Amino acid sequence: MLDWLSNLFPVLVVVVGFWSVRRALRQPLWAEAWRRLKANRLALIALSVIGVYALVGFCDSIAWRNDKNANSLSLIDRAFSRPAEPTYSAPLANKTFGEPTPRALQGRHLLGTDGTGQDVVYLTLKGCRTALIIGGFTLLIATPLALLLGMLAGYFGKRVDDAVQYTYTVLDSIPNILLLIAMLLVLGRGLPQLCVALGITSWVGLCRLARGETLKHREREYVRAARALGISHGRILMHHILPNLLPIIVISVTLGFSGLVLSEAILSYLQLGVAAGTGSWGNMIDASRLELARDPVIWWNLAAASAALFILVLAFNLFGDALRDAIDPRLNS
Amino acid sequence: MLRYLLRRVLYAVPVLLGVSLATFILFYGIFPPEQIARRNLSAKNPTSQQIQEWLVAHDYNHPLPQQFKKHMTELMLLRFGRSDSTGEEIWTRIKTGAGPSTIIAGLVFTASLATRLFFALWSAYFRATYVDTWITLVSVFLMSVVYIVLVIAGQYLMGKVLRLFPLAGYQSGWTAFRFAVLPVIIGVISGLGGGTRLFRTFMLEEMNQDYVRTARAKGVPESRILFVHVLKNAAIPIITSTVLAIPALMLGSLVLESFFGIPGLGSYTVDAINAQDFAVVRAMVFLGTLLYIAGAILTDVCYALADPRIRLE
Amino acid sequence: MFSRRRFWSGLAFLFLLGGCGNSPYPTGLTRESVYFMSQQDDPRKLDPASSYRANEGQILDVICPSYYEYQPLKTKKIQLQLMLGEREAERESYPYTVAGKGKVQGERWTFHIRHDLRFQDDPCFPGGKGRAITAKDFLYAFRRMADPANASPVVTFFSDKVVGFSDLVERNAKLQKADKGADYVTPIKGLQLDATDPYTFRIVLNQPFPQLRYLMAMHFTSPMPFEAVTFYGKEINQHPVGCGPYVLQEWTPKRRIALAVNPNRPTEFYPSEGDPGDKEKGLLRDAGKRLPLADKVVITNIPESTTGWNLFLQGYMDAWGVTQTNFQQVMTQQGALSPEMKEHDIRLVKSNDLWVTYFAFNMSDPVVGGYTPQKRKLRQAISLALNSQEFIELFSMGNGLAAQSIIPPGIYGYDPKYHNPYRTFDPKLAKAKQLLKEAGYPNGIDAKTGDRLTIYYDNAKIEAAGRQYIGLISRQIEALGIHLESRAQRDVVWQNKIEGNDWQLVDYGWIADYPDAENFLFLLYGPNKRPGPNLSGYNNPAYNRLFERMRAMNDGPERLALMHQMRQMVQEDCPLIYLQEVQRMSLYYNWLGANKPHPIANTLLKYRAVNGEQRAQLQTKWNRPVVWPILMFGVVLVLGSLPAVQVVKHRHNRRVTDRNPSQQEVSA
Repeated sequence: MLDWLSNLFPVLVVVVGFWSVRRALRQPLWAEAWRRLKANRLALIALSVIGVYALVGFCDSIAWRNDKNANSLSLIDRAFSRPAEPTYSAPLANKTFGEPTPRALQGRHLLGTDGTGQDVVYLTLKGCRTALIIGGFTLLIATPLALLLGMLAGYFGKRVDDAVQYTYTVLDSIPNILLLIAMLLVLGRGLPQLCVALGITSWVGLCRLARGETLKHREREYVRAARALGISHGRILMHHILPNLLPIIVISVTLGFSGLVLSEAILSYLQLGVAAGTGSWGNMIDASRLELARDPVIWWNLAAASAALFILVLAFNLFGDALRDAIDPRLNS
Repeated sequence: MLRYLLRRVLYAVPVLLGVSLATFILFYGIFPPEQIARRNLSAKNPTSQQIQEWLVAHDYNHPLPQQFKKHMTELMLLRFGRSDSTGEEIWTRIKTGAGPSTIIAGLVFTASLATRLFFALWSAYFRATYVDTWITLVSVFLMSVVYIVLVIAGQYLMGKVLRLFPLAGYQSGWTAFRFAVLPVIIGVISGLGGGTRLFRTFMLEEMNQDYVRTARAKGVPESRILFVHVLKNAAIPIITSTVLAIPALMLGSLVLESFFGIPGLGSYTVDAINAQDFAVVRAMVFLGTLLYIAGAILTDVCYALADPRIRLE
Repeated sequence: MFSRRRFWSGLAFLFLLGGCGNSPYPTGLTRESVYFMSQQDDPRKLDPASSYRANEGQILDVICPSYYEYQPLKTKKIQLQLMLGEREAERESYPYTVAGKGKVQGERWTFHIRHDLRFQDDPCFPGGKGRAITAKDFLYAFRRMADPANASPVVTFFSDKVVGFSDLVERNAKLQKADKGADYVTPIKGLQLDATDPYTFRIVLNQPFPQLRYLMAMHFTSPMPFEAVTFYGKEINQHPVGCGPYVLQEWTPKRRIALAVNPNRPTEFYPSEGDPGDKEKGLLRDAGKRLPLADKVVITNIPESTTGWNLFLQGYMDAWGVTQTNFQQVMTQQGALSPEMKEHDIRLVKSNDLWVTYFAFNMSDPVVGGYTPQKRKLRQAISLALNSQEFIELFSMGNGLAAQSIIPPGIYGYDPKYHNPYRTFDPKLAKAKQLLKEAGYPNGIDAKTGDRLTIYYDNAKIEAAGRQYIGLISRQIEALGIHLESRAQRDVVWQNKIEGNDWQLVDYGWIADYPDAENFLFLLYGPNKRPGPNLSGYNNPAYNRLFERMRAMNDGPERLALMHQMRQMVQEDCPLIYLQEVQRMSLYYNWLGANKPHPIANTLLKYRAVNGEQRAQLQTKWNRPVVWPILMFGVVLVLGSLPAVQVVKHRHNRRVTDRNPSQQEVSA
């Protein structure tokens, strides 16, 4: 029962995602942007890389259990999980690494195993879902909040504007990292807590942007006309101003995504990351602090995690750039 | 200008009030002081009497509203009191820690600005050649590297393999320089990618302006156009983006200081967080906020200085 | 132009100054007789009344010594020797009557201190010169422990035994509530000065307590000048004032602590006897020399263990421990020192700690707690599934003993022949599975509900090594079919769960306060339940009775018999799963004189001898900087741009000539 529900959610996310992209592409602005994007080879490569990561994350989210007392296993678990070895082993080695008396392994591992004997390829794939959730859910929390408050402040001005501005000035004045740490101390450790904390700290920039843009649009002819026609404020905001804000929001969200994914690694260093059982690149990188001190060095853990992270962030950066150029060609110098 | 500054400073007061309220809620409302007491008592198994005594000794034994009043007035008057874990005067530590922090953060700040400008100018000068392409590419690469990997790898390479700098530690006086170099280099590299790209954009934007075309037509040498005209006009966005990056500098210092064992304010804060030292954390949050607000005001002043068209009122 | 050149040469000079040499110390310091060490955590405070952490004790005990100290070389059978005491304390029976309670069989101890003791020179004394120490200063230290402002962690050691001490503690607590200072004046029966001899004091106890001698070797009982407390006020815990071999010369928080020789130190010499075999190892080479051997101790704060290890390899730390991360570099597979280390002139020393680690069950938990045969069998089964040896291999490099009972080697009552039937690992888990079935969970499935048994493991292991630890324990317990759910939280949250009795299984360790079995067996004494040291809440009336008898006894066959009975009870009830008796491996450079770790003594710094000349030479040899990759990088950058210069020049010329050929001539 629970399995069924938890599987429904990722499917829903994907369906809604596809549906909104399809709808957007019917509009001339987005269709035009897509046409330009298609001409950019680098952007297409970046997009397909993101697609692959998304696919891995999706497969890792579809899970079910074989019988009542078994652990729930995802598609990734089923395909890539290997029996755990006793401890570290080098890539393609046949003996453990880092024990006074090395033991024979049960199988070979392409990228070796980590301290708990887990296959590094498998762990790296598991980290994908965590990274996407941290990026995605945080934005899912931050974007609506930022848009709502920003548009209200920009549109109504006066008291509303003062209140919103005050709130974000206060939040923004507290150094971000301290606020994050403080909130994680209070909320506790865990993936949802991390998303909430990151969401609360990352909505300010977007909110400021939305407020500024709304302020500009409020004075435009079409809004004045709409108001003169007696269209309600809600309708003006939703149907007239919001669509005009979307391009700039989409760009900033795409570029913000990679920052969020990267911050997970720093939080892991400060021991505020996700728990041991959850796959996480940040934790793998954090572990490598001790691994690099060894001689011979254990490099495969760090290499796999930082490469996976690097490629995802690079893809997002490249795609974000291309998207910006495609949506607003004037910015392209 | 003076009146503007005064108004900005006054406006900071409600913001600071909000910040202290937020810290109170975050730390006080949710972390009962008993927990802080338990963490900071050195006994293996403190008795409840010992905890009570600790609370009295550290002035945590008042009802919530009274505690709130105390919290707010203390922060507003910058009376930070003593650390919960060591009993040391917090101001003493802030004074000793400010030196190393200023050196590290200041060097990172200026060196970052210089290198970013350097590479951005380099890139702009050689625009549309392979040099430009490579700089842009390397920038995007640098932007995608995890900060902490950079720190780990930097220490490993420059400290352990090349043996160029001390691995960690700190000394005061002139020798501080030796200990600062490695963290500063890492701090600079971490922000180099994004910064260079941004600055390059600002410069290229200026290069498409009419006055550049005019200058070029007049036969002003390309290097002079770039280094004098363009640089002067690109200064405003550069200043804004640089000052806006000051909070990020703080995050960088936090990690750098705690990793390299530099006894600055950043590592003081990290330690306090790990030790659940509420008194220190709240003081550092407040101080960080003050610095941030001061930075924002400074930006405006820099604006006015860089661009005579802008007048502060 | 000139000034610009000077600027550049100055910059180059600065870079040379900074770039050359990676020594973290001022130039020339490593040549001197200075012992260099590091600490991961800064001491929180250095106050004899309240410091309790190992890193604080290491420093404080050479500044503030006590009546006794541990003989540094006798580690097989731990012994006390006199430090500030003139002769052994006299212990006598002391019956007295209490109104309403009748006769109490107490004890009176008489202590005689040396007559030549002086405090270190310190601004708190008139003229800055340390004054002579009398018995008063010892009793003042006791009264400081009863002062709530000092939050002394060991006050419970004394409060239930020293006559009148608990009343004093309560009185002080009341005074504190009323915003008044603690009582240092009213005499109490338990702490007495001698009317005629200023170098004698007496302690009266309400029960026999042979372990008092050990407490008199801890820094809590070190003499304390009231002048220092008055002078430094709240800052006293940053200014220890004592009479030991060293004084605190510098303490820059988070950076460095420096200890220098105390000119007022009492005369004491390097011991001339040790364990059998010590002479051959050269440990008696310095016998008869005046202590301390090194002129100075510099303790650098290095938070990252990796950094510290690399500093050791560069020669900037004199000693280091063997850990999970470095042992592959340190040792060969046969357990000997690796050629690389030998080449580095390093030696390896193994030693025991009085430190036992264990997992504890919450005895009041409905699932794993309780005393019925079924619950016992469940705990026994889980105990059988945990393989200490694997923990030792992975986390202690095979160095350590799989613990069989709570008492570690080196303590009277440790029995190397004893094997706990529930701590004997069988890879097939046959007996464990059988016991689990009898407990009502065949293959880990609850026979009644058909659900898998889940056990919650609460821990504070959120750092990288801890995650590996969790992985191992999960794998071992899940081999039984039980599901182990790890709940890793920050330290505070974790402790809070323990205090709130909201836990099933945790891991814990105990390091001896003093080398007596009582200090370990009291971990299972019922009345010591939380917030006392009895974590599991084990409460067996029979065990409690035996413990109360055994506590007051001197070591001997009678005491041993009681301890064996107690061991048998605990073995069957299985409230704890003993994991490991911790052993330590230390690395020393050979420029250090002979060294021997001690399981409990904190005074070892004064026995360190250093050959600075040899050290400085090796440091220079090992730390030649490699500069060429940096230069190469610069060269590549410049050379790589050269072709582009041509392109730009060409482009610029063309543009100008294309647009306005005459202009160029004019401007030229």
